[in-house]
Amino acid sequence: MTLVPLIDPNACAAHGDCADIAPEIFRVDDIAVVIGTGPDELMIAAAEACPTSAIRIVDSETHEQAYP
Amino acid sequence: MREGVVIAGGGLAAQRCAETLRRLGYEGRLRMVCAESHLPYDRPPLSKQVLADPASEDTVCFRAPEWYASKEIELIRGVAASGLDVAAHRLELADGSVADYEQLVIATGSRPRMLPAFAAYRNVSTLRALEDARLIRELLEKRSRLLIIGAGFIGQEVAAAARGAGVEVTVVEAEPLPLHGLLGREIGEWFAGLHRGEGVELVLGHTAAQIHGDGRVQSVTLDDGRRIETDHVLVGIGVAPDLGWAADAGLSSAGVPTDETGRSELPDIYAAGDAAAFYDAFLGRHALSGHWESAGRQGAAAANSILGRPPAAPALSSFWSDQYGVRIQYLGHAHLSDSVSVEGDMDARDFVALYRREGMPVAALIVGRPGALPELRDSLSYMTERTSE
Repeated sequence: MTLVPLIDPNACAAHGDCADIAPEIFRVDDIAVVIGTGPDELMIAAAEACPTSAIRIVDSETHEQAYP
Repeated sequence: MREGVVIAGGGLAAQRCAETLRRLGYEGRLRMVCAESHLPYDRPPLSKQVLADPASEDTVCFRAPEWYASKEIELIRGVAASGLDVAAHRLELADGSVADYEQLVIATGSRPRMLPAFAAYRNVSTLRALEDARLIRELLEKRSRLLIIGAGFIGQEVAAAARGAGVEVTVVEAEPLPLHGLLGREIGEWFAGLHRGEGVELVLGHTAAQIHGDGRVQSVTLDDGRRIETDHVLVGIGVAPDLGWAADAGLSSAGVPTDETGRSELPDIYAAGDAAAFYDAFLGRHALSGHWESAGRQGAAAANSILGRPPAAPALSSFWSDQYGVRIQYLGHAHLSDSVSVEGDMDARDFVALYRREGMPVAALIVGRPGALPELRDSLSYMTERTSE
């Protein structure tokens, strides 16, 4: 199982909380972009912190959603 | 004509505009005129973390000084815009200097409204700038009693911070319920219960009738005769666009009207953030936003517009608030609704209030359920679809 974050470009408002929590996974330009991987817990913590709930976490093989 | 872009303002919209211009490859001269002497900083933490923890001040600046140097962005700090000569493409500054521009972005933000009766007293303040937040934090550290006028989000967040610090706080709101006009009776009652449950003295449907004290407010008598003793008064009754400096150029506190990309009707003048009134196709009119998320989007939109690039998809009005550890998110236009239905457990601070108009969803308030937002956003997305016109 490999979890990856997906960012909804229409939802992201570039708050930057994800990049604060997981700078190795997210960078915020106009909107947040995924730049790497990291521990699942960190990925999910970043998704939970997002004020616009713009981050989904999915299993890259099964496409099952791990968050929300 | 080597004057480039001048951005009047140093808040989020200004910062996002400058960042976006450079990211998109703009190579011209780029100046930001910041009324405050600080590096550009983010305001939402001022009514949240900064009230609880002095160390959080270190994280409010968007970027380090070196970043501006490396991007060749000139920061003019501690100098406010003071006038505008549209025909001459000239921004006048409070220190008597001028900044000639090829394109101007008006991003001077908003000013908190003040109640005239309170204005002359020394222990009365609003919350907009870093210094304002420091003052409130110091008062909380001294366990000073706080009287907050206005139960909007600023008043609510400061009340929550005060209770977090174990400080007595009274909130007086003229409306019958907090956020009554925006969110209606049922949700207003929930917000009232939230704060009362945490020990806030919440006085609804009343206003200050008489102020007692010489130079400093010592107590306030309300219009029902009740008297409230206090050490400090915070006025949180909303904001108005900060455009008084451009009154001679015809701009008013109604905001700078722009199209959906941030371009105004004045030549080479754009606007973004609290000072802007973007055209909203769904509402069919120009609308002030006043929210963080739109300020960021509008700053980026103005940058794209200056460079002649197509605008990003419009986004629905949205904001969030954190109080007593509960995440509160809002999306849409609740004022358009004719009904509201609540799903979940309001007492457990875990619910969604869905606002409808003629059966169609027009807004949602989400409490303690951030995972519900994506689906609700989808159900409201029809409100921002571009029409063919």
